[in-house]
Amino acid sequence: MTGAPSPAIASRGGAQRPVWWLILPALVLLVCFLVLPYVSIVVMSFREASTRAVYGDGFTLEHYTTVIADPFIWGIVWRTLRTGLIVTVVTLLLGYPVAYHLARTRSRWASVLYIFVISPLLVGLVVRTFAWLIILSNGGVANNALKWAGLIDRPIQLLNTPLGVTIGLIHVFLPFVILPLLGNLQAINPEVAMAGRSLGASRLQTFLRVTLPLSMPGIQAGSILVFVLSISAYVTPAMLGGSQGRTMAVLVVQYLVDSFRWPAGAALAIFMAAITLSVIAVYLRLTARAMRRLP
Amino acid sequence: MPSRRQFLAAMAAASATLPFAGRLRAQTPFVIPTYGGTWAKFWEETLVPGFTAATGTAAQIDVGLGKDFVSKIRAGGDASPYSVFMGNENIAATLRAEGFFEPLDMSKIPNAAGLYDGLLNANNSGLRAIVSPIGLAYRTDMVQTPPKAWTDLWDNPEFAGRIGLYQIGNTGAQLFLRMTGKLFGSGDTDMDTAFAKVKELLPFTQASWSGEVAASLMRGDVAIAPVDWTEILMLQDKGAPVEIVVPTEGVLSYEQSFNIVATGDRKDEAHAYINYLLDPQVQSNMADVFYTSPANREAVVSDALKPRLPIQGDAMSKIVRFEWDSYVDIAAEVADRWNREIG
Repeated sequence: MTGAPSPAIASRGGAQRPVWWLILPALVLLVCFLVLPYVSIVVMSFREASTRAVYGDGFTLEHYTTVIADPFIWGIVWRTLRTGLIVTVVTLLLGYPVAYHLARTRSRWASVLYIFVISPLLVGLVVRTFAWLIILSNGGVANNALKWAGLIDRPIQLLNTPLGVTIGLIHVFLPFVILPLLGNLQAINPEVAMAGRSLGASRLQTFLRVTLPLSMPGIQAGSILVFVLSISAYVTPAMLGGSQGRTMAVLVVQYLVDSFRWPAGAALAIFMAAITLSVIAVYLRLTARAMRRLP
Repeated sequence: MPSRRQFLAAMAAASATLPFAGRLRAQTPFVIPTYGGTWAKFWEETLVPGFTAATGTAAQIDVGLGKDFVSKIRAGGDASPYSVFMGNENIAATLRAEGFFEPLDMSKIPNAAGLYDGLLNANNSGLRAIVSPIGLAYRTDMVQTPPKAWTDLWDNPEFAGRIGLYQIGNTGAQLFLRMTGKLFGSGDTDMDTAFAKVKELLPFTQASWSGEVAASLMRGDVAIAPVDWTEILMLQDKGAPVEIVVPTEGVLSYEQSFNIVATGDRKDEAHAYINYLLDPQVQSNMADVFYTSPANREAVVSDALKPRLPIQGDAMSKIVRFEWDSYVDIAAEVADRWNREIG
């Protein structure tokens, strides 16, 4: 049928036109509370340092050149990335079976398990981390249990180490990998796996060649979320890490809040954000290649 | 495309909020910055009501750390959210160097006449109204030979590996570092000697604040640490096996510096507040609640507290103080060096 649209169609088309002002509040919020502060931080990072004013009069690249040429900073960057990587891998390994079970189970206890999964999020982060502080201390539950089991004679240092930070972060971020995975696994039709079994594949083969590849979007989303949250976490490394477990977020806060070095701290923050973005870009490229083969 | 009417409506809605902004500015409350926990409780329940009753000025508190107040004053530019600043003297020195403070008008703070020596800065550029001396605290059940001097930290082998100190972001670390330079080097700014000697104490636990080092003592993670009387007497009240001594070389001290913020708009009230803080009765009350040493000579320490609070009255002269205004120039360098050399 050709010719002018009927009045009904024209009216419907009019109703579907984007209503620009509906996005205005979100746009204002984004510009005011994300873009403008970011611009402000970028500008601050090029300011000259001063001990007689918040920052000097001129602009400089010095903060960036200092950071880039400093092996001490690179050491903390590496520790931060390594911690983020370990936390991401361990939460994936721990979270996948839980998400898989939750997605497939028909048990009436499923909702209880679901509550268990999200329970860490129901308690404040400082409170949870404080609990770990008590558990990981020299006279804490962890050391006492190891002593009781005869594995150690004297307390081992768990607090104020990268290991302590890693343990704390795994606990904090486990739900963040389970929840995206759960949504993804629930969306996979179980009959696809059953088809694999009916064609002679073992359980393991079916999982490795059917379910796991199909759950890649969930793995990607969960792992990026946990990785980004881990490397930018402040409270847990600050409380459990001490100087040995210090991460970039802690160092940035130290520059900004403890030493009042706003320009240098801003440069450090931008530097870390650039590294994080680079790592995620590489990861996205690698995982996108794996997902391209998905139906 | 938006219609002209929609655009005008949006602009009108936005501009309608502008008069409120002006009105809010005109009604700026007198904001008192203070710390959290028991501090905030005392301020809310006792100090602010008392201040309002004494001066007729309504006030509200803002809870945070001295460093947070610095950030807010800096970010406020020429319109600080506070007219009065409270924070450790070394932190206050940063804002002072940046020109955010103005000298106190001493005619508006008559109670300052009772201040102990050393608590009023030169040129009236701030005063310290809350004093929490720092001594050597130790676990009585973990230490056989109680410490007598700061140098015992180096000389007594039973303390090795069981010492608690502070991260450099805490005033306690800076005080300890300068004291180390004074004890072993050419003076409190002899950082080379100070760092060399502090390195001799490694490994030691580093805490972010005095409450954390007190908790480490409680858990038995450390056996000895420089801690303020406030924390230790509170632990003793809970039955913890801890004791604190006055080292022979003198004590260090967390001293809350009070300053008038040049970019604040309630300076008269700020002066009145500082004057109220220095009131002998208020100082006595704070000694009872926080175990702080009264800054005012006129304040009376109760007989029950006297034996537990050795740094008061004439003994206030045992506080070892350092000059912070020039330290500002090396503070960032010292913090950076600590991170690299101490960890």
